[in-house]
Amino acid sequence: MKLTIKSWTGVASWRWIANDENCGICRMSFESTCPECALPGDDCPLVWGVCSHCFHMHCIVKWLNLQPLNKQCPMCRQSWKFNIH
Amino acid sequence: MCDFSKLWSSDVVKIFPILCGSTSQILQSPKEEVFQNVCRQMSELGSVGIETLTDIVKLEMRSTIRNVIVPKFWVHFQVPRKETVSDPNALFAKFIEAVNELHESYQYLLQMQTRLIQLNRNGPSKTLEKQVVDENGTKTWLRDAMLAQLPPNFDVVIGAFYSVHFRLFTKDIYFSSNTIDSEVLSDLPCTGCNFEVQKCCCQKLIEMVNKTNQKLLELGLIDRLAGSSMTALIKQKIKEHINDTCLGIFDRSHLKELETWLQDVIMSWLRNIFTGGKQCDINECETIQGFKVKLTYFMYETFAQSVISRFFSIIIDYPDSTPAINDLKICMEKIDMRVYITKTLRNALEARLLHPGVNTMDILTGYVAAIKAIRHLDNTGVILEMVTAPIKDYLRKRNDTVRRVVTGLTEEGPTDLSEELAKGESVKDGKDNTTDELSNWENWEPDPFGIDPNILRNTSSKIMRSADIISMVVDIYGSKELFMVEYRNLMADRLLAQLDFNSEKEIRNLELLKIRFGESLLHSCEVMLKDVTDSKRINSHIHGDGNCNENQLFDISSLIVSAQFWPSFNKESLQLPEEIENEFKKYTKAYEAYKGNRTLNWRTVTGRVNILIEIGDRTMEMTVAPTQAVIIYHFQNKSEWGLEELSSLIKVPPSALRRRMSFWQNHGLISETHPGVFTLIEKESEKSQFEEMNITDADEEDLESAMASASDQREEELQVFWSYIVGMLTNLDSMPIDRIHQMLKLFASHSGGVEFTQDELKHFLQRKVREHKLLFSGGVYQLAK
Repeated sequence: MKLTIKSWTGVASWRWIANDENCGICRMSFESTCPECALPGDDCPLVWGVCSHCFHMHCIVKWLNLQPLNKQCPMCRQSWKFNIH
Repeated sequence: MCDFSKLWSSDVVKIFPILCGSTSQILQSPKEEVFQNVCRQMSELGSVGIETLTDIVKLEMRSTIRNVIVPKFWVHFQVPRKETVSDPNALFAKFIEAVNELHESYQYLLQMQTRLIQLNRNGPSKTLEKQVVDENGTKTWLRDAMLAQLPPNFDVVIGAFYSVHFRLFTKDIYFSSNTIDSEVLSDLPCTGCNFEVQKCCCQKLIEMVNKTNQKLLELGLIDRLAGSSMTALIKQKIKEHINDTCLGIFDRSHLKELETWLQDVIMSWLRNIFTGGKQCDINECETIQGFKVKLTYFMYETFAQSVISRFFSIIIDYPDSTPAINDLKICMEKIDMRVYITKTLRNALEARLLHPGVNTMDILTGYVAAIKAIRHLDNTGVILEMVTAPIKDYLRKRNDTVRRVVTGLTEEGPTDLSEELAKGESVKDGKDNTTDELSNWENWEPDPFGIDPNILRNTSSKIMRSADIISMVVDIYGSKELFMVEYRNLMADRLLAQLDFNSEKEIRNLELLKIRFGESLLHSCEVMLKDVTDSKRINSHIHGDGNCNENQLFDISSLIVSAQFWPSFNKESLQLPEEIENEFKKYTKAYEAYKGNRTLNWRTVTGRVNILIEIGDRTMEMTVAPTQAVIIYHFQNKSEWGLEELSSLIKVPPSALRRRMSFWQNHGLISETHPGVFTLIEKESEKSQFEEMNITDADEEDLESAMASASDQREEELQVFWSYIVGMLTNLDSMPIDRIHQMLKLFASHSGGVEFTQDELKHFLQRKVREHKLLFSGGVYQLAK
């Protein structure tokens, strides 16, 4: 007997490759959205700092805007820099 | 002194034969001399003489009425029971005879009276005339005596008489309404008198009847004597007429016709009786008017009852049955039937809908139809509320109700719910409308009367009662959330079953639901549909990417879901063979390259595989579930597998695997040669017996839901509390369930507000007992050591 698979329609769920599950600011899951967004994924992306912590982009931007002087990572208090891959 | 005994026997008795017991009429009146003689003799005694004589005669008249005339009249009415049934015509004749006799006696009495007057006129004291000339006195005596001696069955005879009369009277109408050939007609007995047409005696009968009526009228007895049996007869006729003309016909209005019928037939008959065809005086007109009012109400009531008794059919036929409902509406304005209609309808609905033999979809259809029909009848919604309460209670007990409602909302079906949804009105919220009611006070209507005010107070506000159909249906459970959760589950199932990345219809439904239920409840559904369209784009992107297509064994498309927004999947698993898994890894790589920092978790159990099997000299192309594809894949290299062996390889539990295996057994590719051992059938001859097998079996498997069942999801929610429970029991050692429930409710109010009942908690704790994490003894729970 010979079996040929012609096509396969599967189901997968996507997730962020991150070292944590929840955003440290809004406490929502990374795969979910920040409180302001409705759609997850592309519309509410994650960003990483050089300190390796990551947050919903909207969450950390809002946080940084509230810090007028030295912009720090809310987790480790190192000064925040975006880690651009 | 004159000789009184001589005067008595010769002259007085001549004038007043009643004094010697005679009751038959005398034709010739005694000569004037006799009067003169008696008068003269009497006046010798002074005025007292004539007075005394008058009194004696009056007394005698009374006693004759009481003891002779009336008993004689009533004797005609004492009919043996057998006869009453057998021959109404005999009763008819008897009545006429009785009335004739009575009338004769009355004439005789009147004669006596006239003579009394004459005697008094000749006498000296003319002042007495007024007292003597009280013609109505005789009538009143007669009537009093008649009614005092009323026999029990008298109305049987009277009823028989009037039913013959009615038949005679309506003969012409009967002819005009029936279109029988005149030839056939001549062979039938006359409908009026029941004789053959040639010997028809209707005309004679009618004359007899009219005469009798006239006599009764003269006696002033017709109303007293015949009123009740006439009313009974007419009521019966009205009932018969309504049954004949209206029963079960709901698509046109009947009230107008009925009113005309009442006016033309019944009222003209009554007029005929009371006036004998002459112009009526005011008194009689009043009697007839009184009858008319009474009978009209009776007709409305009978008609309403006949409509209400068939109201279930009306509901089912709605909107074709609108005329019937309009009729009933008019009736209900005149007579109060709310309580009756509520009771009857509740019983009818319970008997027809609310039992295990009716499936939920049909109950829902009935419910929606009832809402529409009853709302048409009574737009305050009170009857609706009362009538449909049992349906709501019953539907709440059925566990597929929510699913059916949601299906009804999104698919074409008999419930019209999807049509209602398409109207696109938003669910009315009670709070918003209160101001509206105040500003709209001119159109305010009071709550209808006749309904227990407690019920009114307990049920929701007026606005709720006037809510639209979808709200009424959703209201079965009292919350929109439950329905939206179920909708999400159903949609997930549908999307996963189709897997064709075509979500236009779903998007349309979702938009309609959003208008009605608000965006927030349907947010996750929106994300789910976006996942579908995104997946389509990602798939075409990855397929277009050259790198990925190198050395590709087969095409992979994937529905990529945002797990947070989908209902949780069930926990089935499937280990793919390495060769296939590598293909998925390639796809994952391509995805990771396309969407930075993101990766995929495959759910291997769900999906659809298009495969081509070449076995012996035949080829089969089919679409199967992944598990089935993997099973047959493994039979490529090894034609015999033990159940356990294969089960551990592909990580599917043996019981589930056996079930999947049966799919291939049905297709004649695999057979269970020994218990627990499956072998591939290569040869054509062995499979031929299966050739007729129905290939569509595969579809049935697809229908299985990939989602976790509702109760599983519920337990997952309760799992949140497990750490609390452990903490509590560590500190307090042992607790009964109601205390645990209370404590958890305290926590629950802080953490996201997961609501649960004590029953649900009990299920959860009992599962923990089964898992040996808790001990349950003496009504308290403890941690297992």
